[in-house]
This record gives sequence, C-alpha cells and structure tokens, in this order.
Amino acid sequence: MTLAAVLLLMLIGFVAGGFGALAGVGGGIIVTPMLAIYFGLPMHQAIGVTLLCVIATSTATSSLYVERHVTDIRLGMTLELATTVGALIAALVAHHINRRTLAVLFACFLLYSAGSLIKKAWGSRNEKREETIPDYTPQNYPVGLAASLIAGGFSGLLGIGGGPIKVPVMFLFMKVPLRVAAATSNFMIGVTAATSAYIYWGHGDVRTDIAAPLVAGVFAGSLLGARISPKIRSFYILMLVVCITGWLAVQMIYKLLTGGFQ
Amino acid sequence: MSRQDVAADRVLSFTLKFGAYTALGLIVAGLLLQWIVNWGTKVAAAGLLVLLATPVLRIVVACLQFLRERDFKYALVSFGVLAIVVLAYFLGIRT
Repeated sequence: MTLAAVLLLMLIGFVAGGFGALAGVGGGIIVTPMLAIYFGLPMHQAIGVTLLCVIATSTATSSLYVERHVTDIRLGMTLELATTVGALIAALVAHHINRRTLAVLFACFLLYSAGSLIKKAWGSRNEKREETIPDYTPQNYPVGLAASLIAGGFSGLLGIGGGPIKVPVMFLFMKVPLRVAAATSNFMIGVTAATSAYIYWGHGDVRTDIAAPLVAGVFAGSLLGARISPKIRSFYILMLVVCITGWLAVQMIYKLLTGGFQ
Repeated sequence: MSRQDVAADRVLSFTLKFGAYTALGLIVAGLLLQWIVNWGTKVAAAGLLVLLATPVLRIVVACLQFLRERDFKYALVSFGVLAIVVLAYFLGIRT
C-alpha cells in the first residue's frame, strides 16, 4: 500500500471516529460505504474492517463515559446477552448473503439513519443539558432484550453498532435517561462487534493492511470527540453527519443502479 | 451511586484505556516500522489482535469485580456473555 493510501485511511478513520463520538453514531455508517464505494472493497471485507473500527470507537469513548459514571454497566452487561447472540447468528448468515443484497440493505440502513439523525438534530435545537442523572430503575427487560437481539443481528450483518435501535428502546420502554442509554449502548457495541469480528476474521474478511491505519485514525478521532463533546452544540454536527450519510446513501444507490457491488 | 459502583467504574475504565492505548501504540509503531522492516505489518496486526481482545478482557474484569462485590447474579450474567463471545471465537478465528 502506498503512503498516500495509508494517510487517506487514517484521515477517514479520524473523521468517522470524531463524528461518531460527537453525534453518538458508530463510525460504521461512514467507513463501510467509503471502503465499498471509493476503495472498491467487496461488501463483506468493508464490513469486516468496519467492525474493528466499531470496537475502537466503543473502547475509546467508553473508557471516558465509564469514568464519568454515565454508563449503566449492569444494564449493558444484561443486554449484551442478547446482542452477542444476534451478532453471532447474523455474522454466520452474512457470509452466505451476496454482495448486492448486503449493499441494498446497507443503503436502506443509511437512509433510515439519516432520517433518525434529522429527528435527533431537530430535537436538540433548544435542549437543556441535563447536568445530573435522575434516579431510575430499568424496566421492561423482555422488550429491551428483544430489541438488543435485533440490534446485534444488524451489527453482525452490516458492521454497524445498532445504536439507532437500542437507544430509543432503552429510553422509551426501559425508562432509562437518554444520556445513560446512549453511553450504555456505546459500551455494548464493543463486545457485540467483537463477537461478529471473530467470525469475519475466520472467513478472511478482515484486511489488516486496511484496518490498521483506519483504526489508528478512529482511536484518535473518537478520543478527541468524546473529550470535546460536552462543550459543543450538537445541532450543526448532527446536520453535517446527516449530509455525509445522505451523500453516501445516494452514491451507494447510484452504484447499485449502474450494476456495481458484484 | 454506591461506593462499589464507583470502584467498578474505575477498574473497567482503566481496562478499556489500557486496551485502547496498547492497541493504538502497537498499530502506530507497526505502521511506522513497515516502511523500514518487513515485520512492521505484523506489529500492526498484533495491535489489531489486542483491540479484538479488549472487549473480552473487559467482560472478564467485570465478572471478577461482580464476584468481589458478591453480586452473583451479575457475575453469572457476565459469565454468560463471556461464554457466547468465546463460542464465536472458536467458531471464527480457530476454524
């Protein structure tokens, strides 16, 4: 690999990790389409590499959130019982799904993410930062576990974290404060992504030459992002991520319509 | 928040930081070394393996911490998660 390619991958990782930490989305929605569209990686390899980026984001940002006592470790550990099972099954199934189908599913997921981010950005316009976390007891564990199983499945299939599924369910059905839900989801995706990464690695779908510079960039970006996130207004960041996600979705659909991803 | 929760948060956050910085250090060293010696890529790959191992280490540490707090319910939950992840490891990397 050329020096330029290494530096470019580091830059993509840095941007994905930074926005991931700031906007509360895994870097996956940026990294996978970039690798598939601009680097011509087969979908399975793009997803395998992205899983490592997801672990890096989770590890880096959780180390800070856990330190700030925002993460509910017991809740996270319980829901991981379901996310890991979903991730394991989906990763085994993904190997037998063809590339175009995976690309179609991913494009749909990008559009859904863009939509949910617009909603989140709109809601964050005049939000007051909750300084202290109110007392709560997680409720409705069956609903939470079911949603986690599905989120884990998407993680294993598409290499994403599954936050857009888990966070609303924890907030609305389990009555967990939003900040705790987001931090706990972030904490869980490392273990979830590792579960499917082992399967992808076994199938030879984790290209270490591509993953190494990307992961280095993701680490740097998400550590920085998690540190500055309390001081930044999220509205503009979220809208920027919506634009990137929308652009990547359009590119993927265009490539699909012109017969790409074979 | 109880004192035990604070202790658990501290030990877990240390584990995650340790994994993150070890992996990052190895990967960066490997990326630099690969232009000088041909085993540089292996150092970077070792960094990726540390990255892959960190979530597992985090489960083990949480499990031990719950045992120390005599919170057997959550020690069992952690052990369950560990069992699934180890199963994935044997289905994947070792085959």
